[in-house]
Parts: sequence; structure tokens; C-alpha cells
Amino acid sequence: MNDEAKTNCTVGTGREPEATRSTVPMGIVVVLFLLLFLGGVYFDHHSGWFNAKVYSPYVSAEQLELYQPKSGAAAALAHGKQVYETVCGICHGVDGMGKPAQAPPLAGSEWVIAGGFHRLAQIPLDGLNGNLQVEGKDWNLNMAPMGAALSDADLAGVLTYIRTSWGNKAGPVTADDVKAIRAAVGGHSAISAAQLSSIPE
Amino acid sequence: MKSGLCVFLAAFIALGLSWCGFVLGPAKQLGTARQAAVLNSSDTYPLQPTGDATLGLQVYRANGCAACHTEQVRQDGVTCEIVLTGAGKNPTAVTNLVSTLKLTGLTKEEADAASDKITAAGGSVETHINPVGRDIARGWGVRRSVAADFLYDYPVQLGSLRAGPDLANVGARLPDANWQLVHLYAPSAVAKNSAMPPFRFLFEVRKIGDAPSPDALQFPKDFPPPSGCEVVPTPEAKQLVAYLLSLKADVPLYEAPFTPVIAKP
Repeated sequence: MNDEAKTNCTVGTGREPEATRSTVPMGIVVVLFLLLFLGGVYFDHHSGWFNAKVYSPYVSAEQLELYQPKSGAAAALAHGKQVYETVCGICHGVDGMGKPAQAPPLAGSEWVIAGGFHRLAQIPLDGLNGNLQVEGKDWNLNMAPMGAALSDADLAGVLTYIRTSWGNKAGPVTADDVKAIRAAVGGHSAISAAQLSSIPE
Repeated sequence: MKSGLCVFLAAFIALGLSWCGFVLGPAKQLGTARQAAVLNSSDTYPLQPTGDATLGLQVYRANGCAACHTEQVRQDGVTCEIVLTGAGKNPTAVTNLVSTLKLTGLTKEEADAASDKITAAGGSVETHINPVGRDIARGWGVRRSVAADFLYDYPVQLGSLRAGPDLANVGARLPDANWQLVHLYAPSAVAKNSAMPPFRFLFEVRKIGDAPSPDALQFPKDFPPPSGCEVVPTPEAKQLVAYLLSLKADVPLYEAPFTPVIAKP
């Protein structure tokens, strides 16, 4: 390459182009804000507000809550589980295994899985005092009555729950059943094991 | 560069924001997820997988199963259905009322309104919640896949291509371990027109010794193994099948409710 060719290499003015300021067209700004707005509307309708529990096709936590099964036996059972865990589970254990020297197990207990529920329903209604044999073990019990604190539906749910959970396979109890038992025998002071055994199943 | 700091800050903010969105946010939301409660039951979901199933996930991964199989069931919508469970004391009135109402394909609001009407007339009803969608219609699942389904999977084998069927619920769909093993050894023996390549290297073909192995595959009649030989799965094949059978996304959860179809005994 000779000197002449080198000098010929410079083209134009030799200055780099420079960016200058200019206004963004108003139309683009409007379109961008419109898109932002539409995005916001879509987000509001479909995001579930990033709730970890909300998946499509549900669009909000409220809608998902609405679709939780609430009717029939399944709902009574779910309600019973909730009541059990807040009221009964403190002593009898959330797993139904009871606590030593405090509360006997409900899982597999012959009092719970008996064919009839009249004796069982009596226990939370009026409380239970004294000696009771559960699964071959003697328990000296002092259970407080829950009848005043729990509604018929609460008790029916709890009784159904303990009769069908943890491997227990006994029949359900309805709120009407509890109402009848409450009307017939409620308002006692706490009963003893002997009295309990005298009630027909 | 004239505005190096500006470019650096812009890049930092752009990457930082996407890191927050893709890594920090999900980790905060799901990183502490635990077993979820099964709806209307005292069970939790998913079950802790067995050791074989945990190892099986690595076999699944090593053999590239996720290249052709997904583990995600999609759900397009949800419909409600009203089922009359009792006619009450005035069956004629309830039956007449029910015949005037739409009972399937309802939204929850419509279902609740109809169920209130029937209850007011003395009947008793149950509202069933039925997920609908193309994958569900194919029988690949009963509800959509949710994060809880993958609680114990590491790494999660979502997959993105379906040369084969979705496997999110395969343990409930095809619970027979022998079927799974035969299918891995010779897909066409049990699934006609299957496009799956055979995974024979996961098996050992050998002469039957003094007594046939209890693990030997039970082939269908029209696909007998060479006489005097038996096909025995290697530990990897057993682990893979244990993993496949552990894929059971068939219980209702809070985030994906449905009414299970209870098989009549």
C-alpha cells in the first residue's frame, strides 16, 4: 500500500455523526400509555395478584374460595376437621392418638367406632369423669363439657370427623341426630363411665 | 464510551429486575412450600417419595424422558354440576322443579342459586366441581397441575414436547408395575403403534437358572420372550418404574378443587 492510496481513504467531512435531541411523537406516547392501561386491566382480571394459590382458570382468590366444595357430607366433614383441630385436638392430638395421662386416643377407640353414636355424642355434650377403659387401657378422665360451646352442626361435624378419620370407619352423624340427643339427655353434669355404659348405643 | 455509568446502571437495573421476578419472587412465594392438605380429608399431599422413586427421577432425567413426555396437565375451565341426593318429603314438587333447572355446565354462582332453590323445596343436593380441558378429556389427569405436585421433584421434569403422552398422573392411570416394565422393555408389546424407543439396556436377558426369577417380566401372550430365557429388570428400571408409579396427581387441593369420583364398591 503506497502513500497515495492511504490519503485517498478519507471520505466525507471526517466527522463522526452525533445524536441530537428531538421530541418523541405524541402518538407513540399515547399508544404506549394505552398499552400500559390495557396491560393493567388484563393484569387486574387474570393475575390473581400473584397469589401462590390462584392458578388459571381461576382469576382471583375470591373466585377460588367460591369454588371450594361446601355442600353435602364433604363440607360437614371439612367443618368437623376444623372444629376438631381447634377444640379437641389440643388434648386428643391432631392425629387422634391422644396424650398420655391426659386424653385417650380416638383412633381405633371402641367408644368412637361403635355402631351407634349415642354414647359417643354424650361425651362432648356433657363431659366425662372417672375411670374409662379405652383400647384395653385404664384412663382416669376429667373431660370438660363442650355442649354449650359447640353448635349441633359443630358437634355433628366433629363426631363424623373422628368416626371416619385415622383409619376409623364408622357412620356419619348429622346435626339432627345431635339435636335429638341434646334434647333428650343434655344439661347433665359430667357423666361417669358406668353411666355411659348404661346408655344404649 | 460517553455514558458508561448510565449503561451500567441501566443493565444492572434491567437484570436486577428480571432476577427479582424470575428468582427472588418465586423463591419467596414457593420456596417454603410444604405438603398441602387434601380437600375434605385429613391426608396431606404429595406423599414423601420412596427412595426408589427419588432415584427413579434421576433415571428419568438421565434417559431424557422429559424430551418427549411432559408432566403438566392443562385445564381450560371448570364447571359445576348439581346432583340430587334426596327428594325429601315432597318428591313430586322437587322432581318437577329439578326438571325445569339446568343441572350441568354451570358456574358456581348458578349452581349455588339452583341448589338453594332445590333445598328450599325440600330436596337435598350436592354440587360437584368438574375441571374441564383437552388434557383432562384425554384422560391424562383429573385436574390441572399445580406447584404442590412437584414438591419433592428435583430437578422438576416439566417437559415441553409431547411426542408421548403426559405423565403427570401416570401412576394413577397405569398402576401396574409389570405393565410399566414390559412397556419400557418393548413398548409395542403393550401399546400398539407406540412411537417410544425400547429401553432394553435397562433390562437383563438371561437363561432361566434353577428357578425363574421372581422379578422376571410377565409378557403378554402374543409377545413371548425367547424360550428358556427371562427378562429381568435392572435396579435402574425398577427405580424408574417406582418413580412413574409415584406420579399421582389425583387428589383435590385448595388451589385445584374438584369433586372426586368415588368408585362404587
